[in-house]
Amino acid sequence: MSSSEVVQEYAPNFQAWIDEFQEWQTRIGFDPSWLGDYRFEIKFDWDTAGETIEFGDFKGMPKWQRRMQIPQQSIRDAIISMISVQGDTEFASVEQQHHLLESAPTEYDRKSALRIMCEEQRHGWQMAYLLCTHFGEHGVREAMKLLERNSAGNPYRSEGEGARLLGSFNEPIDNWLDFFCFTHFIDRDGKYQLKMLSTSSFKPLAASMGPMLKEESFHLGTGANGLRRIVKAGVIPCSVLQRYINKWVSTGLDLFGVDESSSAQWAYVYGVKGRFDERETEEPADREHLNEASRMLYYQELADEMRRMNKARREGEPEIVMPSDRFNREIGKWSDQRFILDGQEFEGDDDAWDAYLASVLPSAEDVAKLPGYFAQNWIQYREWKE
Amino acid sequence: MLNIDRGRLKPFFERVPELFQLHHHGDSEDAAGYERLLYRVHRPFSGEMLDTIDDWMGCEPHQHRGEELFRLRLFLLAIRYPDTLLLESLDDVLVSDIRRLSGYLHFTKHTYSIWDDDSRRGLARLGFDIPPTSVADPFIYGAYCASIELLKELAPFYSFLEHDVPRQRLFQAALAAYGRES
Repeated sequence: MSSSEVVQEYAPNFQAWIDEFQEWQTRIGFDPSWLGDYRFEIKFDWDTAGETIEFGDFKGMPKWQRRMQIPQQSIRDAIISMISVQGDTEFASVEQQHHLLESAPTEYDRKSALRIMCEEQRHGWQMAYLLCTHFGEHGVREAMKLLERNSAGNPYRSEGEGARLLGSFNEPIDNWLDFFCFTHFIDRDGKYQLKMLSTSSFKPLAASMGPMLKEESFHLGTGANGLRRIVKAGVIPCSVLQRYINKWVSTGLDLFGVDESSSAQWAYVYGVKGRFDERETEEPADREHLNEASRMLYYQELADEMRRMNKARREGEPEIVMPSDRFNREIGKWSDQRFILDGQEFEGDDDAWDAYLASVLPSAEDVAKLPGYFAQNWIQYREWKE
Repeated sequence: MLNIDRGRLKPFFERVPELFQLHHHGDSEDAAGYERLLYRVHRPFSGEMLDTIDDWMGCEPHQHRGEELFRLRLFLLAIRYPDTLLLESLDDVLVSDIRRLSGYLHFTKHTYSIWDDDSRRGLARLGFDIPPTSVADPFIYGAYCASIELLKELAPFYSFLEHDVPRQRLFQAALAAYGRES
Protein backbone atom coordinates (compact mmCIF):
# COMPACT_ATOMS: atom_id res chain seq x y z
CA MET A 1 0.00 0.00 0.00
CA SER A 2 1.51 3.25 -1.07
CA SER A 3 1.22 6.64 0.60
CA SER A 4 3.41 9.10 -1.22
CA GLU A 5 4.76 12.24 0.37
CA VAL A 6 5.60 15.22 -1.79
CA VAL A 7 8.06 17.53 -0.02
CA GLN A 8 6.75 21.09 0.00
CA GLU A 9 9.64 23.11 1.43
CA TYR A 10 13.34 22.84 0.76
CA ALA A 11 16.34 23.65 2.94
CA PRO A 12 18.51 26.60 1.78
CA ASN A 13 21.36 24.40 0.55
CA PHE A 14 19.03 22.46 -1.74
CA GLN A 15 17.47 25.73 -2.90
CA ALA A 16 20.97 26.88 -3.83
CA TRP A 17 21.50 23.62 -5.70
CA ILE A 18 18.31 24.29 -7.70
CA ASP A 19 19.78 27.59 -8.92
CA GLU A 20 22.79 25.67 -10.19
CA PHE A 21 20.52 23.07 -11.77
CA GLN A 22 18.81 25.74 -13.87
CA GLU A 23 22.20 26.87 -15.09
CA TRP A 24 23.08 23.22 -15.88
CA GLN A 25 19.99 22.84 -18.09
CA THR A 26 21.03 25.78 -20.23
CA ARG A 27 24.67 24.71 -20.34
CA ILE A 28 23.94 21.20 -21.58
CA GLY A 29 21.48 22.42 -24.21
CA PHE A 30 18.16 21.49 -22.61
CA ASP A 31 15.68 24.32 -23.09
CA PRO A 32 13.68 24.67 -19.81
CA SER A 33 10.64 25.80 -21.82
CA TRP A 34 10.36 22.21 -23.11
CA LEU A 35 9.18 21.24 -19.64
CA GLY A 36 5.86 23.03 -20.15
CA ASP A 37 3.87 22.77 -16.93
CA TYR A 38 5.96 19.87 -15.57
CA ARG A 39 7.14 20.58 -12.03
CA PHE A 40 10.00 18.72 -10.35
CA GLU A 41 8.88 17.24 -7.06
CA ILE A 42 10.62 15.33 -4.30
CA LYS A 43 8.53 12.22 -3.62
CA PHE A 44 8.80 9.50 -0.99
CA ASP A 45 6.87 6.27 -0.62
CA TRP A 46 7.46 5.46 3.05
CA ASP A 47 5.21 2.39 3.12
CA THR A 48 7.25 0.35 0.67
CA ALA A 49 10.54 1.45 2.27
CA GLY A 50 10.16 -0.94 5.22
CA GLU A 51 10.73 -0.32 8.91
CA THR A 52 13.61 -2.67 9.71
CA ILE A 53 16.85 -3.47 7.92
CA GLU A 54 16.14 -6.40 5.65
CA PHE A 55 19.51 -8.07 5.06
CA GLY A 56 23.17 -7.84 5.96
CA ASP A 57 24.85 -7.57 9.33
CA PHE A 58 22.37 -5.03 10.71
CA LYS A 59 19.32 -7.09 9.76
CA GLY A 60 16.37 -6.60 12.11
CA MET A 61 17.46 -3.19 13.39
CA PRO A 62 15.37 -0.10 12.58
CA LYS A 63 16.21 1.47 9.22
CA TRP A 64 18.30 4.63 9.49
CA GLN A 65 16.37 7.83 8.86
CA ARG A 66 19.14 10.34 9.51
CA ARG A 67 22.86 10.49 8.99
CA MET A 68 23.67 10.42 12.70
CA GLN A 69 21.85 7.09 13.07
CA ILE A 70 24.22 5.44 10.59
CA PRO A 71 26.73 3.63 12.79
CA GLN A 72 29.94 3.95 10.75
CA GLN A 73 31.55 6.56 8.51
CA SER A 74 32.31 3.82 5.96
CA ILE A 75 28.57 3.14 5.65
CA ARG A 76 27.82 6.84 5.23
CA ASP A 77 30.45 6.98 2.49
CA ALA A 78 28.96 3.93 0.77
CA ILE A 79 25.48 5.52 0.81
CA ILE A 80 26.81 8.82 -0.55
CA SER A 81 28.59 6.91 -3.29
CA MET A 82 25.44 4.96 -4.26
CA ILE A 83 23.31 8.11 -4.38
CA SER A 84 25.96 10.01 -6.34
CA VAL A 85 26.31 7.30 -8.98
CA GLN A 86 22.54 7.00 -9.34
CA GLY A 87 22.13 10.78 -9.67
CA ASP A 88 24.98 10.93 -12.17
CA THR A 89 23.22 8.52 -14.52
CA GLU A 90 19.94 10.46 -14.34
CA PHE A 91 21.44 13.73 -15.58
CA ALA A 92 23.74 11.97 -18.04
CA SER A 93 20.88 10.40 -19.98
CA VAL A 94 19.31 13.83 -20.53
CA GLU A 95 22.62 15.12 -21.83
CA GLN A 96 22.84 12.19 -24.22
CA GLN A 97 19.29 12.37 -25.55
CA HIS A 98 17.94 15.91 -25.66
CA HIS A 99 19.31 16.67 -29.15
CA LEU A 100 17.02 13.96 -30.58
CA LEU A 101 13.82 15.84 -29.81
CA GLU A 102 13.94 17.78 -33.06
CA SER A 103 14.13 14.63 -35.18
CA ALA A 104 11.48 12.48 -33.51
CA PRO A 105 9.73 10.07 -35.89
CA THR A 106 6.28 10.91 -34.50
CA GLU A 107 4.76 13.35 -32.03
CA TYR A 108 4.13 10.37 -29.77
CA ASP A 109 7.83 9.56 -29.69
CA ARG A 110 8.84 13.18 -29.17
CA LYS A 111 6.51 13.55 -26.20
CA SER A 112 7.49 10.17 -24.79
CA ALA A 113 11.18 11.10 -24.97
CA LEU A 114 10.46 14.47 -23.40
CA ARG A 115 8.53 12.81 -20.57
CA ILE A 116 11.46 10.46 -20.01
CA MET A 117 13.88 13.39 -19.87
CA CYS A 118 11.66 15.28 -17.42
CA GLU A 119 11.40 12.26 -15.16
CA GLU A 120 15.12 11.49 -15.33
CA GLN A 121 15.80 15.06 -14.23
CA ARG A 122 13.32 14.59 -11.39
CA HIS A 123 15.19 11.46 -10.35
CA GLY A 124 18.40 13.50 -10.37
CA TRP A 125 16.66 16.10 -8.19
CA GLN A 126 15.63 13.39 -5.78
CA MET A 127 19.20 12.13 -5.43
CA ALA A 128 20.57 15.67 -5.04
CA TYR A 129 17.92 16.35 -2.40
CA LEU A 130 19.07 13.33 -0.38
CA LEU A 131 22.69 14.44 -0.63
CA CYS A 132 21.96 18.05 0.33
CA THR A 133 19.49 17.22 3.10
CA HIS A 134 21.20 14.32 4.82
CA PHE A 135 24.93 14.47 4.28
CA GLY A 136 26.11 17.96 5.20
CA GLU A 137 28.93 19.65 3.35
CA HIS A 138 30.11 16.39 1.83
CA GLY A 139 26.65 15.75 0.39
CA VAL A 140 26.28 19.30 -0.93
CA ARG A 141 29.63 18.99 -2.70
CA GLU A 142 28.65 15.67 -4.27
CA ALA A 143 25.29 17.13 -5.36
CA MET A 144 27.10 19.99 -7.08
CA LYS A 145 29.37 17.54 -8.87
CA LEU A 146 26.28 15.98 -10.44
CA LEU A 147 25.89 19.25 -12.34
CA GLU A 148 29.55 19.74 -13.14
CA ARG A 149 30.14 16.54 -15.10
CA ASN A 150 28.80 16.31 -18.66
CA SER A 151 28.29 13.16 -20.68
CA ALA A 152 30.89 12.56 -23.37
CA GLY A 153 27.86 11.62 -25.47
CA ASN A 154 26.42 15.13 -25.31
CA PRO A 155 26.91 17.06 -28.56
CA TYR A 156 26.73 20.25 -26.43
CA ARG A 157 29.87 19.67 -24.41
CA SER A 158 32.81 21.94 -23.80
CA GLU A 159 36.38 20.75 -23.77
CA GLY A 160 37.66 20.09 -20.30
CA GLU A 161 34.33 19.11 -18.78
CA GLY A 162 34.53 15.93 -16.74
CA ALA A 163 32.80 12.88 -18.19
CA ARG A 164 29.99 10.98 -16.49
CA LEU A 165 30.92 8.15 -14.15
CA LEU A 166 29.73 5.07 -16.07
CA GLY A 167 30.58 3.92 -19.59
CA SER A 168 27.07 3.63 -21.05
CA PHE A 169 26.33 7.18 -20.01
CA ASN A 170 29.19 8.56 -22.05
CA GLU A 171 28.15 6.77 -25.24
CA PRO A 172 26.73 9.01 -27.94
CA ILE A 173 23.05 8.43 -28.71
CA ASP A 174 23.25 9.65 -32.26
CA ASN A 175 19.87 8.60 -33.56
CA TRP A 176 16.48 7.22 -32.63
CA LEU A 177 17.56 3.62 -33.09
CA ASP A 178 20.16 4.19 -30.40
CA PHE A 179 17.51 5.92 -28.28
CA PHE A 180 15.21 2.90 -28.29
CA CYS A 181 18.14 0.58 -27.60
CA PHE A 182 19.24 2.81 -24.74
CA THR A 183 15.81 2.95 -23.12
CA HIS A 184 15.33 -0.78 -23.61
CA PHE A 185 18.73 -1.97 -22.40
CA ILE A 186 20.13 0.78 -20.18
CA ASP A 187 16.93 2.00 -18.54
CA ARG A 188 16.21 -1.66 -17.83
CA ASP A 189 19.50 -1.76 -15.97
CA GLY A 190 18.20 1.35 -14.17
CA LYS A 191 15.17 -0.61 -13.06
CA TYR A 192 17.51 -3.18 -11.53
CA GLN A 193 19.62 -0.59 -9.73
CA LEU A 194 16.54 1.21 -8.36
CA LYS A 195 14.94 -2.01 -7.16
CA MET A 196 18.17 -3.08 -5.48
CA LEU A 197 18.15 0.25 -3.61
CA SER A 198 14.44 -0.02 -2.74
CA THR A 199 15.29 -2.29 0.20
CA SER A 200 18.09 -0.05 1.46
CA SER A 201 18.85 0.32 5.16
CA PHE A 202 18.90 4.10 4.65
CA LYS A 203 15.18 4.74 4.70
CA PRO A 204 15.05 8.03 2.72
CA LEU A 205 16.91 6.27 -0.10
CA ALA A 206 14.60 3.23 0.00
CA ALA A 207 11.53 5.50 0.11
CA SER A 208 12.79 7.44 -2.92
CA MET A 209 12.79 4.34 -5.08
CA GLY A 210 9.04 3.60 -5.20
CA PRO A 211 8.04 6.75 -7.08
CA MET A 212 11.15 6.50 -9.26
CA LEU A 213 10.39 2.89 -10.20
CA LYS A 214 6.81 3.80 -11.11
CA GLU A 215 8.20 6.36 -13.55
CA GLU A 216 11.00 4.12 -14.80
CA SER A 217 8.52 1.50 -16.00
CA PHE A 218 7.37 3.95 -18.68
CA HIS A 219 10.96 4.47 -19.80
CA LEU A 220 11.74 0.83 -20.43
CA GLY A 221 8.31 0.29 -21.91
CA THR A 222 9.14 3.02 -24.43
CA GLY A 223 12.30 1.15 -25.37
CA ALA A 224 10.75 -2.31 -25.58
CA ASN A 225 7.72 -1.12 -27.54
CA GLY A 226 9.91 1.07 -29.73
CA LEU A 227 12.12 -1.81 -30.79
CA ARG A 228 9.09 -4.01 -31.50
CA ARG A 229 7.55 -1.19 -33.55
CA ILE A 230 10.77 -0.98 -35.58
CA VAL A 231 10.78 -4.73 -36.19
CA LYS A 232 7.10 -4.67 -37.19
CA ALA A 233 7.64 -1.83 -39.67
CA GLY A 234 10.30 -3.95 -41.38
CA VAL A 235 12.18 -1.03 -42.96
CA ILE A 236 15.38 -1.34 -40.94
CA PRO A 237 16.74 -4.81 -41.67
CA CYS A 238 17.02 -7.10 -38.64
CA SER A 239 20.71 -7.55 -39.50
CA VAL A 240 21.27 -3.83 -38.83
CA LEU A 241 19.17 -3.92 -35.69
CA GLN A 242 21.17 -6.94 -34.54
CA ARG A 243 24.41 -4.94 -34.70
CA TYR A 244 22.92 -2.17 -32.56
CA ILE A 245 21.68 -4.75 -30.08
CA ASN A 246 25.16 -6.30 -29.96
CA LYS A 247 26.53 -2.88 -29.08
CA TRP A 248 24.09 -2.08 -26.27
CA VAL A 249 23.78 -5.49 -24.58
CA SER A 250 27.46 -5.63 -23.68
CA THR A 251 27.50 -2.12 -22.26
CA GLY A 252 24.31 -2.86 -20.31
CA LEU A 253 25.93 -5.95 -18.79
CA ASP A 254 28.99 -3.92 -17.83
CA LEU A 255 26.82 -1.58 -15.77
CA PHE A 256 26.39 -4.25 -13.10
CA GLY A 257 30.02 -3.84 -12.15
CA VAL A 258 32.91 -6.19 -11.57
CA ASP A 259 32.60 -9.85 -10.63
CA GLU A 260 33.37 -10.85 -7.06
CA SER A 261 32.88 -7.21 -6.15
CA SER A 262 33.97 -6.28 -2.64
CA SER A 263 32.06 -2.99 -2.74
CA ALA A 264 28.84 -4.85 -3.64
CA GLN A 265 29.58 -7.23 -0.78
CA TRP A 266 30.13 -4.38 1.68
CA ALA A 267 26.95 -2.65 0.46
CA TYR A 268 25.12 -5.88 1.21
CA VAL A 269 26.76 -6.27 4.61
CA TYR A 270 25.69 -2.71 5.45
CA GLY A 271 22.17 -3.39 4.14
CA VAL A 272 22.58 -0.43 1.78
CA LYS A 273 21.92 -2.26 -1.48
CA GLY A 274 20.21 -5.62 -1.83
CA ARG A 275 19.65 -8.14 -4.56
CA PHE A 276 17.15 -7.44 -7.34
CA ASP A 277 14.82 -10.08 -5.91
CA GLU A 278 15.73 -9.48 -2.25
CA ARG A 279 12.14 -9.52 -1.00
CA GLU A 280 10.97 -12.31 -3.27
CA THR A 281 13.70 -14.91 -2.97
CA GLU A 282 14.18 -17.31 -0.11
CA GLU A 283 17.67 -18.28 -1.23
CA PRO A 284 20.53 -17.06 0.96
CA ALA A 285 22.66 -14.41 -0.72
CA ASP A 286 25.93 -15.46 -2.30
CA ARG A 287 27.72 -12.37 -1.06
CA GLU A 288 30.79 -12.90 -3.20
CA HIS A 289 28.82 -12.97 -6.43
CA LEU A 290 26.12 -10.34 -5.99
CA ASN A 291 26.81 -8.46 -9.21
CA GLU A 292 26.93 -11.69 -11.19
CA ALA A 293 23.55 -12.79 -9.83
CA SER A 294 21.84 -9.52 -10.76
CA ARG A 295 23.54 -9.50 -14.14
CA MET A 296 22.23 -12.98 -14.94
CA LEU A 297 18.65 -12.04 -13.99
CA TYR A 298 18.97 -9.01 -16.27
CA TYR A 299 20.38 -11.16 -19.05
CA GLN A 300 17.49 -13.63 -18.75
CA GLU A 301 15.01 -10.77 -18.87
CA LEU A 302 16.64 -9.45 -22.04
CA ALA A 303 16.43 -12.92 -23.59
CA ASP A 304 12.68 -13.05 -22.83
CA GLU A 305 12.20 -9.63 -24.40
CA MET A 306 14.16 -10.77 -27.44
CA ARG A 307 11.72 -13.64 -27.95
CA ARG A 308 8.83 -11.15 -27.97
CA MET A 309 10.68 -8.95 -30.42
CA ASN A 310 11.28 -11.86 -32.75
CA LYS A 311 7.57 -12.63 -32.91
CA ALA A 312 7.07 -9.26 -34.61
CA ARG A 313 9.53 -10.05 -37.41
CA ARG A 314 8.43 -9.95 -41.02
CA GLU A 315 8.74 -13.08 -43.10
CA GLY A 316 12.24 -13.66 -44.40
CA GLU A 317 13.95 -11.50 -41.79
CA PRO A 318 16.64 -13.32 -39.80
CA GLU A 319 16.05 -14.10 -36.14
CA ILE A 320 17.47 -11.52 -33.76
CA VAL A 321 19.69 -13.27 -31.24
CA MET A 322 21.09 -12.34 -27.86
CA PRO A 323 24.84 -11.90 -27.94
CA SER A 324 26.65 -14.00 -25.36
CA ASP A 325 27.31 -12.33 -22.02
CA ARG A 326 31.02 -12.81 -22.79
CA PHE A 327 30.98 -10.75 -25.97
CA ASN A 328 32.71 -7.34 -26.03
CA ARG A 329 32.81 -6.88 -22.29
CA GLU A 330 34.92 -4.19 -20.67
CA ILE A 331 34.08 -4.98 -17.05
CA GLY A 332 34.06 -8.30 -15.24
CA LYS A 333 35.79 -11.61 -15.74
CA TRP A 334 35.26 -11.66 -19.51
CA SER A 335 36.85 -8.26 -20.09
CA ASP A 336 40.14 -8.11 -21.96
CA GLN A 337 39.29 -11.43 -23.59
CA ARG A 338 37.96 -12.11 -27.06
CA PHE A 339 34.72 -13.99 -27.59
CA ILE A 340 32.42 -14.10 -30.57
CA LEU A 341 28.68 -13.54 -30.40
CA ASP A 342 27.85 -17.12 -29.49
CA GLY A 343 30.33 -17.10 -26.60
CA GLN A 344 33.04 -19.16 -28.29
CA GLU A 345 36.59 -17.97 -27.91
CA PHE A 346 37.82 -15.93 -30.87
CA GLU A 347 40.70 -17.39 -32.82
CA GLY A 348 42.82 -14.98 -34.83
CA ASP A 349 45.16 -12.02 -34.60
CA ASP A 350 44.44 -8.38 -33.76
CA ASP A 351 43.55 -7.45 -37.33
CA ALA A 352 41.14 -10.35 -37.60
CA TRP A 353 39.54 -9.34 -34.30
CA ASP A 354 39.09 -5.74 -35.48
CA ALA A 355 37.54 -7.02 -38.68
CA TYR A 356 35.23 -9.28 -36.71
CA LEU A 357 34.09 -6.46 -34.43
CA ALA A 358 33.46 -4.24 -37.45
CA SER A 359 31.19 -6.94 -38.87
CA VAL A 360 29.05 -7.42 -35.75
CA LEU A 361 28.85 -3.87 -34.36
CA PRO A 362 27.23 -0.88 -36.10
CA SER A 363 29.40 0.04 -39.06
CA ALA A 364 29.99 3.31 -40.88
CA GLU A 365 27.91 1.80 -43.66
CA ASP A 366 25.01 1.19 -41.26
CA VAL A 367 25.23 4.75 -40.00
CA ALA A 368 25.28 6.08 -43.56
CA LYS A 369 22.13 4.12 -44.42
CA LEU A 370 20.12 5.24 -41.40
CA PRO A 371 18.92 8.57 -42.87
CA GLY A 372 17.52 6.64 -45.81
CA TYR A 373 15.61 4.33 -43.49
CA PHE A 374 14.44 7.23 -41.36
CA ALA A 375 12.99 8.93 -44.45
CA GLN A 376 10.58 5.98 -44.78
CA ASN A 377 7.91 4.69 -42.39
CA TRP A 378 10.60 2.95 -40.39
CA ILE A 379 8.65 2.68 -37.16
CA GLN A 380 5.05 1.66 -36.63
CA TYR A 381 3.00 4.85 -36.28
CA ARG A 382 1.49 5.65 -32.93
CA GLU A 383 -0.59 8.71 -32.18
CA TRP A 384 -0.05 10.81 -29.07
CA LYS A 385 -3.29 10.68 -27.12
CA GLU A 386 -4.51 13.59 -24.98
CA MET B 1 -13.26 7.85 -2.28
CA LEU B 2 -10.98 9.49 0.24
CA ASN B 3 -12.46 7.18 2.88
CA ILE B 4 -11.20 4.10 1.11
CA ASP B 5 -9.87 1.37 3.39
CA ARG B 6 -6.27 1.18 2.27
CA GLY B 7 -5.74 -2.15 4.01
CA ARG B 8 -8.17 -3.74 1.55
CA LEU B 9 -6.11 -2.58 -1.39
CA LYS B 10 -2.83 -4.21 -0.37
CA PRO B 11 -3.63 -7.83 -1.32
CA PHE B 12 -4.87 -6.61 -4.69
CA PHE B 13 -1.82 -4.44 -5.36
CA GLU B 14 0.49 -7.35 -4.59
CA ARG B 15 -1.23 -9.41 -7.26
CA VAL B 16 -1.69 -6.84 -10.05
CA PRO B 17 0.96 -8.29 -12.42
CA GLU B 18 -0.39 -11.84 -12.00
CA LEU B 19 -4.05 -10.75 -12.30
CA PHE B 20 -3.28 -8.64 -15.36
CA GLN B 21 -1.59 -11.61 -16.98
CA LEU B 22 -4.57 -13.82 -16.21
CA HIS B 23 -7.08 -11.49 -17.82
CA HIS B 24 -5.29 -9.56 -20.56
CA HIS B 25 -3.26 -12.50 -21.81
CA GLY B 26 -6.09 -14.97 -21.22
CA ASP B 27 -7.86 -16.80 -24.04
CA SER B 28 -10.84 -14.45 -24.13
CA GLU B 29 -8.98 -11.18 -24.56
CA ASP B 30 -6.77 -11.29 -27.70
CA ALA B 31 -3.80 -9.33 -26.33
CA ALA B 32 -2.17 -9.10 -29.77
CA GLY B 33 -5.35 -7.58 -31.19
CA TYR B 34 -5.38 -5.10 -28.32
CA GLU B 35 -1.82 -4.03 -29.12
CA ARG B 36 -2.68 -3.59 -32.79
CA LEU B 37 -5.54 -1.26 -31.87
CA LEU B 38 -3.22 0.90 -29.77
CA TYR B 39 -1.47 1.81 -33.00
CA ARG B 40 -4.22 1.65 -35.59
CA VAL B 41 -6.80 3.88 -33.96
CA HIS B 42 -5.98 7.52 -34.50
CA ARG B 43 -7.59 10.78 -35.51
CA PRO B 44 -9.97 11.42 -37.20
CA PHE B 45 -11.40 8.15 -35.81
CA SER B 46 -13.08 6.86 -38.95
CA GLY B 47 -16.07 4.54 -38.93
CA GLU B 48 -13.75 1.70 -39.97
CA MET B 49 -11.59 2.29 -36.91
CA LEU B 50 -14.67 2.10 -34.71
CA ASP B 51 -15.54 -1.17 -36.47
CA THR B 52 -12.18 -2.63 -35.46
CA ILE B 53 -12.81 -1.59 -31.85
CA ASP B 54 -16.26 -3.21 -31.93
CA ASP B 55 -14.68 -6.34 -33.31
CA TRP B 56 -12.07 -6.54 -30.54
CA MET B 57 -14.66 -5.76 -27.88
CA GLY B 58 -16.89 -8.55 -29.21
CA CYS B 59 -19.74 -6.09 -29.89
CA GLU B 60 -22.11 -6.31 -32.82
CA PRO B 61 -20.99 -3.88 -35.57
CA HIS B 62 -22.26 -0.41 -34.77
CA GLN B 63 -25.12 0.94 -36.82
CA HIS B 64 -24.20 4.59 -36.51
CA ARG B 65 -24.38 6.29 -39.88
CA GLY B 66 -24.53 9.82 -41.27
CA GLU B 67 -25.24 12.55 -38.75
CA GLU B 68 -25.13 10.14 -35.81
CA LEU B 69 -21.68 8.84 -36.71
CA PHE B 70 -20.50 12.41 -37.28
CA ARG B 71 -21.68 13.45 -33.81
CA LEU B 72 -20.00 10.43 -32.23
CA ARG B 73 -16.70 11.25 -33.92
CA LEU B 74 -16.97 14.89 -32.88
CA PHE B 75 -17.60 13.73 -29.33
CA LEU B 76 -14.50 11.54 -29.38
CA LEU B 77 -12.42 14.41 -30.70
CA ALA B 78 -13.78 16.89 -28.15
CA ILE B 79 -13.81 14.95 -24.91
CA ARG B 80 -10.83 15.38 -22.57
CA TYR B 81 -9.92 12.94 -19.82
CA PRO B 82 -11.18 12.75 -17.06
CA ASP B 83 -14.36 14.55 -18.15
CA THR B 84 -17.37 12.28 -18.58
CA LEU B 85 -20.10 14.92 -18.47
CA LEU B 86 -19.80 15.37 -22.21
CA LEU B 87 -21.60 12.03 -22.49
CA GLU B 88 -24.76 14.04 -21.78
CA SER B 89 -24.41 15.67 -25.18
CA LEU B 90 -25.00 12.32 -26.91
CA ASP B 91 -28.45 11.02 -27.76
CA ASP B 92 -30.04 7.90 -26.26
CA VAL B 93 -28.90 5.61 -29.06
CA LEU B 94 -25.24 6.53 -28.65
CA VAL B 95 -25.22 6.13 -24.88
CA SER B 96 -27.25 2.93 -24.91
CA ASP B 97 -24.21 0.65 -24.62
CA ILE B 98 -21.59 1.63 -22.04
CA ARG B 99 -19.23 -1.20 -23.00
CA ARG B 100 -19.09 -0.17 -26.62
CA LEU B 101 -18.71 3.53 -25.85
CA SER B 102 -16.04 2.89 -23.21
CA GLY B 103 -14.12 0.86 -25.81
CA TYR B 104 -14.23 3.79 -28.21
CA LEU B 105 -13.05 6.13 -25.45
CA HIS B 106 -10.27 3.80 -24.35
CA PHE B 107 -8.77 3.22 -27.76
CA THR B 108 -9.09 6.81 -28.94
CA LYS B 109 -7.62 8.30 -25.75
CA HIS B 110 -5.72 5.49 -23.94
CA THR B 111 -6.90 7.04 -20.67
CA TYR B 112 -10.57 6.18 -20.17
CA SER B 113 -11.11 2.65 -18.90
CA ILE B 114 -13.02 -0.10 -20.68
CA TRP B 115 -16.28 -0.82 -18.86
CA ASP B 116 -16.30 -4.41 -17.70
CA ASP B 117 -18.76 -5.83 -15.20
CA ASP B 118 -16.04 -8.06 -13.74
CA SER B 119 -13.83 -5.01 -13.21
CA ARG B 120 -16.78 -3.31 -11.51
CA ARG B 121 -17.07 -6.32 -9.20
CA GLY B 122 -13.32 -6.13 -8.58
CA LEU B 123 -13.72 -2.50 -7.55
CA ALA B 124 -16.55 -3.52 -5.20
CA ARG B 125 -14.18 -5.99 -3.48
CA LEU B 126 -11.87 -3.06 -2.82
CA GLY B 127 -14.66 -0.90 -1.42
CA PHE B 128 -15.56 1.13 -4.51
CA ASP B 129 -19.27 0.54 -5.04
CA ILE B 130 -20.11 1.38 -8.63
CA PRO B 131 -23.72 0.52 -9.57
CA PRO B 132 -24.32 -1.87 -12.47
CA THR B 133 -25.54 -0.26 -15.66
CA SER B 134 -25.79 -0.94 -19.35
CA VAL B 135 -26.10 2.69 -20.46
CA ALA B 136 -23.29 5.23 -20.43
CA ASP B 137 -24.35 7.29 -17.45
CA PRO B 138 -21.77 10.07 -17.06
CA PHE B 139 -21.74 9.89 -13.27
CA ILE B 140 -21.49 6.11 -13.00
CA TYR B 141 -18.87 5.84 -15.72
CA GLY B 142 -17.07 8.86 -14.24
CA ALA B 143 -16.93 7.18 -10.84
CA TYR B 144 -15.67 3.96 -12.45
CA CYS B 145 -12.84 5.77 -14.26
CA ALA B 146 -11.98 7.88 -11.21
CA SER B 147 -11.75 4.77 -9.01
CA ILE B 148 -9.30 3.14 -11.40
CA GLU B 149 -7.36 6.40 -11.62
CA LEU B 150 -7.11 6.50 -7.82
CA LEU B 151 -5.86 2.91 -7.70
CA LYS B 152 -3.22 3.84 -10.25
CA GLU B 153 -2.04 6.66 -8.02
CA LEU B 154 -2.04 4.66 -4.79
CA ALA B 155 -0.43 1.52 -6.18
CA PRO B 156 3.16 0.82 -5.11
CA PHE B 157 5.89 0.32 -7.67
CA TYR B 158 5.72 -3.47 -7.57
CA SER B 159 2.23 -3.37 -9.07
CA PHE B 160 3.66 -2.21 -12.36
CA LEU B 161 7.38 -2.75 -12.75
CA GLU B 162 6.87 -3.49 -16.41
CA HIS B 163 3.89 -3.73 -18.70
CA ASP B 164 3.10 -2.97 -22.32
CA VAL B 165 -0.34 -1.40 -22.05
CA PRO B 166 -1.62 1.94 -20.78
CA ARG B 167 -1.87 1.90 -16.98
CA GLN B 168 -5.66 2.22 -17.06
CA ARG B 169 -5.78 -1.06 -18.96
CA LEU B 170 -3.31 -2.69 -16.58
CA PHE B 171 -5.55 -1.96 -13.59
CA GLN B 172 -8.88 -2.52 -15.33
CA ALA B 173 -7.72 -5.93 -16.56
CA ALA B 174 -6.34 -6.89 -13.14
CA LEU B 175 -9.63 -5.78 -11.57
CA ALA B 176 -11.57 -7.98 -13.99
CA ALA B 177 -9.64 -11.07 -12.90
CA TYR B 178 -10.00 -9.99 -9.26
CA GLY B 179 -13.74 -9.46 -9.70
CA ARG B 180 -14.22 -12.91 -11.20
CA GLU B 181 -12.75 -14.46 -8.06
CA SER B 182 -15.60 -13.05 -5.94
